[in-house]
Amino acid sequence: MTLTPEKPIKQVERVIIRFAGDSGDGMQLTGDRFTQQTAIFGNDLATFPSFPAEIRSPQGTIPGVSSFQVHFASRDILTPGDHPDVLVAMNPAALKANVSDLRAGAVIIADTHEFTARNLTKAGYDHNPLEDDSLADFQVHPVDLTGMTIEAVKDFSLTRKEATRSKNMFALGLVSWLYGRPVEPTIDHLTRKFAGKPNVRDANIAAFKAGVNFGETAEVFAVSYEVKPAPVPKGRYRNITGNLALSYGIVAAGRLADLPVFLGAYPITPASDILHELSKHKDFGVTTFQAEDEIAAIGAALGASYAGHLGITSTSGPGMSLKSEAVGLAVMLELPLVVVDVQRGGPSTGLPTKTEQADLLQAMFGRNGEAPLPVIAPQSPADCFDAALEAVRIAVTFRTPVVLLSDGYLANGSEPWRLPDVTSLPRIEPGFATGPNHKLDDGDEDFLPYLRDAETLARPWAPPGKAGLEHRIGGLEKSDGTGNISYDPANHEHMVRVRQAKVDRVAETVPDLQVDDPSGRARLLVIGWGSTYGPIGAGVRRVRQRGFDVAQVHLRHLNPFPRNLGEILARYDKVVVPEMNLGQLALLLRAKYLIDAESRTNVRGTPFGAEEMEGILLAALTDLGIADASDNPIDARVAEEALR
Amino acid sequence: MTTPIDLGLPTPGTAGVPTLAEGQQLTGKDFTSDQEVRWCPGCGDYAVLKAVQGFLPQLGLRRENIVFVSGIGCSSRFPYYLDTYGMHSIHGRAPAIATGIATAREDLSVWVVTGDGDALSIGGNHLIHALRRNVNMTILLFNNRIYGLTKGQYSPTSEAGKVTKSTPMGSVDQPLNPVSLALGAEATFVARTIDSDRKHLTSVLSAAAAHRGTALVEIYQNCPIFNDGAFDAIKDRDRKADAIIPLEHGEQIRFGPPGEDGRGSKALVRDEVTGGVRAAFAADVPDEAILVHDAHNPDPSTAFAISRLTDTGYLNQSPIGIFRQVVRPTYDDQVREQAGPRRGLDDLQALIDGGDVWTVEEDR
Amino acid sequence: MTYVIAQPCVDLKDRTCVDECPVDCIYEGERMLYIQPDECVDCGACEPVCPAEAIFFEDDVPDEWADYTQANADFFAKLGSPGGAGKVGKVADDPQWIKDLPPQEHD
Ligand SMILES: Cc1ncc(C[n+]2csc(CCOP(=O)(O)OP(=O)(O)O)c2C)c(N)n1
Ligand code: SF4
Ligand code: SF4
Ligand code: SF4
Ligand SMILES: [Mg+2]
Repeated sequence: MTLTPEKPIKQVERVIIRFAGDSGDGMQLTGDRFTQQTAIFGNDLATFPSFPAEIRSPQGTIPGVSSFQVHFASRDILTPGDHPDVLVAMNPAALKANVSDLRAGAVIIADTHEFTARNLTKAGYDHNPLEDDSLADFQVHPVDLTGMTIEAVKDFSLTRKEATRSKNMFALGLVSWLYGRPVEPTIDHLTRKFAGKPNVRDANIAAFKAGVNFGETAEVFAVSYEVKPAPVPKGRYRNITGNLALSYGIVAAGRLADLPVFLGAYPITPASDILHELSKHKDFGVTTFQAEDEIAAIGAALGASYAGHLGITSTSGPGMSLKSEAVGLAVMLELPLVVVDVQRGGPSTGLPTKTEQADLLQAMFGRNGEAPLPVIAPQSPADCFDAALEAVRIAVTFRTPVVLLSDGYLANGSEPWRLPDVTSLPRIEPGFATGPNHKLDDGDEDFLPYLRDAETLARPWAPPGKAGLEHRIGGLEKSDGTGNISYDPANHEHMVRVRQAKVDRVAETVPDLQVDDPSGRARLLVIGWGSTYGPIGAGVRRVRQRGFDVAQVHLRHLNPFPRNLGEILARYDKVVVPEMNLGQLALLLRAKYLIDAESRTNVRGTPFGAEEMEGILLAALTDLGIADASDNPIDARVAEEALR
Repeated sequence: MTTPIDLGLPTPGTAGVPTLAEGQQLTGKDFTSDQEVRWCPGCGDYAVLKAVQGFLPQLGLRRENIVFVSGIGCSSRFPYYLDTYGMHSIHGRAPAIATGIATAREDLSVWVVTGDGDALSIGGNHLIHALRRNVNMTILLFNNRIYGLTKGQYSPTSEAGKVTKSTPMGSVDQPLNPVSLALGAEATFVARTIDSDRKHLTSVLSAAAAHRGTALVEIYQNCPIFNDGAFDAIKDRDRKADAIIPLEHGEQIRFGPPGEDGRGSKALVRDEVTGGVRAAFAADVPDEAILVHDAHNPDPSTAFAISRLTDTGYLNQSPIGIFRQVVRPTYDDQVREQAGPRRGLDDLQALIDGGDVWTVEEDR
Repeated sequence: MTYVIAQPCVDLKDRTCVDECPVDCIYEGERMLYIQPDECVDCGACEPVCPAEAIFFEDDVPDEWADYTQANADFFAKLGSPGGAGKVGKVADDPQWIKDLPPQEHD
């Protein structure tokens, strides 16, 4: 079925939609389906799911609101967007929790069925906002989504409760019509998903179609909109979340290195998806071990690495804290290991479902003694795939634990991913020790487990099973070469420096950073790492649209830094560092390069908005005397509107 | 003396581990590394090391397929002195690390060396989970009832009231019994032996190695520096007949000085009041009332009851031998069974191409 | 490797070492005590306690007493490895040349 709307179609460049409802209303699924349709249609997109920390907060309350935001456009976009153009509110709490984010003139579709006195009270409304003028700034469409859904599915002999469950599909259908989305993928999806439950399948499809038809026929919706496909390089695409991309990256790295993968993990939000996903891929040589705690998880992964497998452990902040002693052991043992930290709000249990970048210094320094290790970060959901490959490359090549710092925003957010041709990806060489590596004075040969590769300073990887290479390793300081226990002061000094030098050598294998400075005239450099890539890019774009020059550079490698970073930083009059912490990268840059890097931070648990970033950059330009105060977005809504 | 029990297991503990070529035989020397052994003079660890070095050749396995993993403590230095593969890891975590090794590699014989502090205090969690999972490995728990390496603080097995540097007025902690703990943690093999009794130690080791699954072997180990004499009662020639309750599968549990029938004058019988077991004079009870040790009983209740006869205070009495030895599928074997046929990069392409994929034919 | 008892023990036999040995592998002969080389676990407990400084690690036996290494082994030719000296008691299995030594003076 294709949509042949009779109503006028208005072209728009980009749209932000937020689906919001109770955590039981299926908003994540709705958002996900809308995203798939949009991806298939060819728009560029970015998504931002947001859910309560509790599995089920009290129904109808504000803490129980779950939402899914999708931003799509006919050009490339970088963030899930700041101010929705459309809010689908399944109940009063969803309206109340989200209305303040909307742009002026935004469309609100509210399920009137749920705007009962009880629900209004639960959400903290004295009056029904649909009936007073509190929403005068918006185009409000009160629709009885529930009632119409029940009507649409009445033939499928469902209980009333079951019937109402399809209301999210009705809403999806309505919004799909509004933005001219292809509907077949959703119908196919529902057909597949509920293959075993024909009446649920039929009810969902019926509700979905009813939503589409309602849009087409209802007079309140006078126009529909069209967002043309975005320009993209040719190729095969799919939409992917960060956690899924990261998991695929690990599976791929195992195959590219021809190593079995061993994941040790203990469930924790927002990293559990990685455990779940990898558990499905035993036939790719992936073993997953749900350990008794994070210490056992990393311990077992390290044991597997010792045994010649690719050891991986995945967790979030609290688990990172528990792992630190074992990470130190891995540093000492000089075995490959990837430690994935999907960061969330901290400290302690913090904000489990919210994002933050505050584990950077923990990753860098959170161990006793001098225990350097490489740290890298993905910059977008799809980039998690490449970042995982890079983490494994470094870990295997340099026989070292590597911390891979994702975060909650990347983990659950999604974007279109241009599928790589995996067979053409570079292979990773485990280069196991095959025999003796050292000649004795008497001409005999022996094996020295800490004899280093001249180039990488990596030691041999000699898993058990090879005769003649029997050796003992451990956490006590060891002599370089033999690996025997040594308390010799000079040897310790040497080993501490060698371990550092080895990590520093990683930079030799990392390409130079490319600065994005199209005019070459910028005096302001904005530098970030990890998931701020999107918001920084969006902010930069806005500032450039205003006619200002600004340079952007983004770090994948946080330890060691790329070789040309110091030189880049020195080129600019001003360097600002936006981060979702209190200035951790800025601290490192200041310490390492003695520059006045200025920190700009947010720790709300949500990513920077594009306009927030624009404000940061304009303020920095004002400091430089380039912009003046009137350039600053005084009224965010106005600025947003001006840039539409 | 306990002899190794041949359960006729379908897959013994070392199945899958490469054996030596026909006619090849290793000796204790082959298992001795070039590292100088550095325990205090008289430490019980020496005796265990010697016994293990003497025992390993009996397994007939290739040296390169044997891995010893330890935690931290005096006893945990063990791997350095054995010329096998080895890892001296961090405090308490050896069972977790060994779980990774054993799960990753079926062809390795995996051993854990740990102390009473290492295994029962900081590593208690890993120990119980290794036991319940039944990972194929042997855990040697050196119980000297003290923290040796940190110079003599009381441990989770020290008797209540123990005066140490950290408990000048006597500890107020109730100790735990590693055998009872292991039985409660669903262990499939639980034994106890003594550092200085090489023969018994060796026989328990061979039964433990033959067991497929996690075998916990508690070894009473004297620390002459910080807890000397902790096991004197069971080592003293005059006292040990009363102190050791020997457990031999299929045999009546008899101990004490020989009675008229030449066997121990005391015996274990069921305690009708508590439901547990108690000691009685063999002469006072009918022969059929005397408990016959059944290590293979699927129900661990009796083994547990016997384990409770271990003194919690100063050790004057302790059952010694194999408490429990039952067959249950191992964690690592089952994990390996779940692994399907290995798929390659082409299949991986298909995997990532799965889901809703769309194609953009031309750059746009 | 093993520990070895040498000449200074002959006719002294004060037995301090016996109480130290954790595996009870120091056996008594007529003229001196002997360490069962297969039973000795090299723990070194006996060596420092001997008032006559008669006990040495095998590699450190002074040249003049080198024969005692073999004497310690030979003592067990008949006895084998009984697994504990306590239950064995005194045995008159001293190697002939030890038996033939002149009486030793100790002060
Ligand atoms: C995380 C950590 N905490 C504390 C220590 C200090 N430490 C080393 S060994 C030990 C206790 C060892 O006791 P036990 O396991 O009984 O071994 P033993 O020395 O008696 O053989 C402690 C507390 C450590 N190494 N690591
Ligand atoms: S302190 Fe005790 S346990 Fe540790 S080596 Fe010395 S005697 Fe052995
Ligand atoms: S202590 Fe010395 S002198 Fe005394 S019996 Fe032992 S070896 Fe002989
Ligand atoms: S070294 Fe130890 S085991 Fe050997 S004889 Fe001396 S005390 Fe006994
Ligand atoms: Mg101890």
